[in-house]
Amino acid sequence: MAVIEAIATQYLEADAATVTFGSIPASYEHLQLRASLRSTSGVYAMRLKINLNGDTGTNYSNHNVRGSTSSPTAYAQTGAAYIQTSDGMHGSSLPPGEYASFIMDILDYANTNKNTTCSLMAGSALTHTDNRVQFGSGLWDNTAAITTILFTPNAGSFSRGCEFTLYGLNSA
Amino acid sequence: MAAFTVIEHEEIATGGVVSWSETSIAASYDHLLLKVSGRSERSAYADEWVVTLNGSTTTSEYSSTILKAYSATPVSERYATSVRGGFIWPKAPGALALADTFGSLTMWIPNYANTANFKQVLISNAFENDSTTDYRWEVQQIAGLFSSTAAITAIGVTSRSGLGDIAEFSTFTLYGVTGA
Repeated sequence: MAVIEAIATQYLEADAATVTFGSIPASYEHLQLRASLRSTSGVYAMRLKINLNGDTGTNYSNHNVRGSTSSPTAYAQTGAAYIQTSDGMHGSSLPPGEYASFIMDILDYANTNKNTTCSLMAGSALTHTDNRVQFGSGLWDNTAAITTILFTPNAGSFSRGCEFTLYGLNSA
Repeated sequence: MAAFTVIEHEEIATGGVVSWSETSIAASYDHLLLKVSGRSERSAYADEWVVTLNGSTTTSEYSSTILKAYSATPVSERYATSVRGGFIWPKAPGALALADTFGSLTMWIPNYANTANFKQVLISNAFENDSTTDYRWEVQQIAGLFSSTAAITAIGVTSRSGLGDIAEFSTFTLYGVTGA
């Protein structure tokens, strides 16, 4: 058994409003999601929203540090309806072919003694002044094992050519 | 040969432990990767953890450069030496943080077994909590230098304050990463 296994890859052949990974088995220790992101919305950058197990209640918290100018910024948020990046994905105002990079780790996703914590890294808009690099963390106040992850752009749809791969990391 | 090998995985049992360590790490990989989902029993919102290599607590062997946020204003810090042996300082939620909430720590040690150069590490760390109050949450990136040419054979994690054990259900997973 390989330590890291690709659970599923979704490559978008057409624009899509959302991307969902469902029926995630509980057999791994950790999850990692790697994605290449762009939205059809006519902006430079936007947030990526993440819901776990179909929960759209205000059960999420977000903490983030972001660099985009000479002065980095940070924010903290509780009572959110999703985990989110601080921008972190591209919009269609950028040249075609520019997709943002995104990595998310969910440690002990199937451990029902723990709320779910996600660590997030994202970088975007490399050819435009409205660029971003960020590191953050998201909390879902629920101890259920993660079986479904839903990704939604803050506006528009995911553009054709976006790619999402979910990996499982074993611990034995 | 698989690129990743599990060297050690441990879930902390009921009652917690003062420290976690892995010793006698073989030199047969190219890189090491440690993933920690952790919480402290300290009666505070967070506890600082000291990460040591090869059991060294020699302050002059550790330097740390940090970008972090615990308020709306991020800060960066540089420590040429460690106040206490070990890299300065990843954090984990303490007993006053939201129940059942664990922080995350990922540490890379590239080329850990070479005996020609000092060792560099990169740590990504989040002390997660359902709070917007300053100092009751934190995210940070730490670049560390361990000024020793010895191959890394041991990694340790312990509370800086000594006021709280590593809580039950915390997990430590150490991977060996092999090149082609």
